[in-house]
Amino acid sequence: MTAVLKAAVSAALAGLLGLDAVQAGQFLLSRPALVGPLLGWLNGCPLEGAKIGILLELLYIDFIPVGGVVPPNGCAAAAAGVLAHSAGGLAPSLAFFAGVAAGVGYAPLEYRLRASRSGLNAFIDAQVSAGDFRLRRWLARAMLVENLALGGYVLAVAGAAALVNLLPGVARLYPGTDFAYSLMPWLGLSGLYFRFRTQIYKKG
Amino acid sequence: MLFKMFLRSFFIQAGWNYERFQSLGFAFALQPALEKAWPDREKLKAALLRHLQIFNTQPYMASFVIGNIARMEERAAEAGEDQLKHMPGVKQALASSFASIGDRIFWGRLKPMTVQICLLVWSACGFYGWLFTGMDGAVSFGVLLAGPLAGIAAYSVFSVYIRWKGLKAGYACGGSANCALDAANWPRLIRLLSAAGFAMSLAIALLAFGLLAGFNCGSCRPADLLLKLGLPLAVLALHRVMRALGRSVFFSAGLILAASVLLFSLLGLQPFELYL
Repeated sequence: MTAVLKAAVSAALAGLLGLDAVQAGQFLLSRPALVGPLLGWLNGCPLEGAKIGILLELLYIDFIPVGGVVPPNGCAAAAAGVLAHSAGGLAPSLAFFAGVAAGVGYAPLEYRLRASRSGLNAFIDAQVSAGDFRLRRWLARAMLVENLALGGYVLAVAGAAALVNLLPGVARLYPGTDFAYSLMPWLGLSGLYFRFRTQIYKKG
Repeated sequence: MLFKMFLRSFFIQAGWNYERFQSLGFAFALQPALEKAWPDREKLKAALLRHLQIFNTQPYMASFVIGNIARMEERAAEAGEDQLKHMPGVKQALASSFASIGDRIFWGRLKPMTVQICLLVWSACGFYGWLFTGMDGAVSFGVLLAGPLAGIAAYSVFSVYIRWKGLKAGYACGGSANCALDAANWPRLIRLLSAAGFAMSLAIALLAFGLLAGFNCGSCRPADLLLKLGLPLAVLALHRVMRALGRSVFFSAGLILAASVLLFSLLGLQPFELYL
């Protein structure tokens, strides 16, 4: 399988797994900790995929999706990070930070998708009022659009990473990004520690 | 019918939008009960339109409300439609209560615990790449998957159980605004999960610092060791301060990245190999 085809398959898989985050199931299959090694394996770099995935997970666990808030998208982040490394050719450290940015960047798109679905309510009401009770088609449509959006976004980020990799002097960034990358586990562990410490302090 | 509703409840957020939130998924999940209760198409239409109105709660806990409302609709079909007048109030009250409980249990506690389980499984299997990003030891794909899958399995077993239990409990006591709120001792469960999460956090922090000291103590001078232990502590302090200032974790990550690129990429300082 060529790198481009692998990237396309990975993006499609990311789009499918991404549905689990909000729309279908919510078994946490869309979490970066799983998406990272899975897509890494598909692209021949399971170890780097797992590292990128778990570090993104540690940072993204800081955000809680309550009350309709759109948090940064962990699935998009992990998929984009792994593909930026495997298909885009960036070093894992820079790919990781590209993944962080990609996850944050997907949130406004997700917000727009959710907002655009508000416009469907009138059509759904009209359909039901007309005696057609097939609600499943609207759910399927919403999931298909979200799937395509996420897959396309991940593929676009991977393409952008490949272009960045062609720029002269990118390798000069790596000593700095490698060092910052080596500190990310501690930043993530800090978030994990303080999350539960605060809960204990507040007594539940 | 309950099982059909249970399966459909997995898609309660598929049509989530800012105008009516989970209404489409809720109506879709409730549809089997409505079809059974209202064989007349006009009445079924009215029932579906009733439940296409605004609704939002925590997705795993939604089944408590679905079960309750399914029973209320059945009663209304049997005893008269005046039974429906309390339904919006009951639905709203339960949605708010279960959202608060579910957010605390699932998002606030169980979800971060899946990461802790993953890290502990990886550590038990001898994989420390999650801590030392430069470590490239041989590790099987099975181990890499076992970590996240262990956390996800534990989480999903509980969440699926709650969905099913909620549907049955809600259906059993449908009609009351406090229906199934006592299905479990929620405050106790929340306290237990907080304690378990904190204990695992502490174990992982001790493990991380222990590994850091263990990997470095034989190969460097005491001053270097202090630096290697001090830098992670500085990162923890930075994160704590930024949180207190209301900044997200990305702000801290950005600061670390900017400082590292400035020092080691632009100014050309030699980055010391901290973590292998």
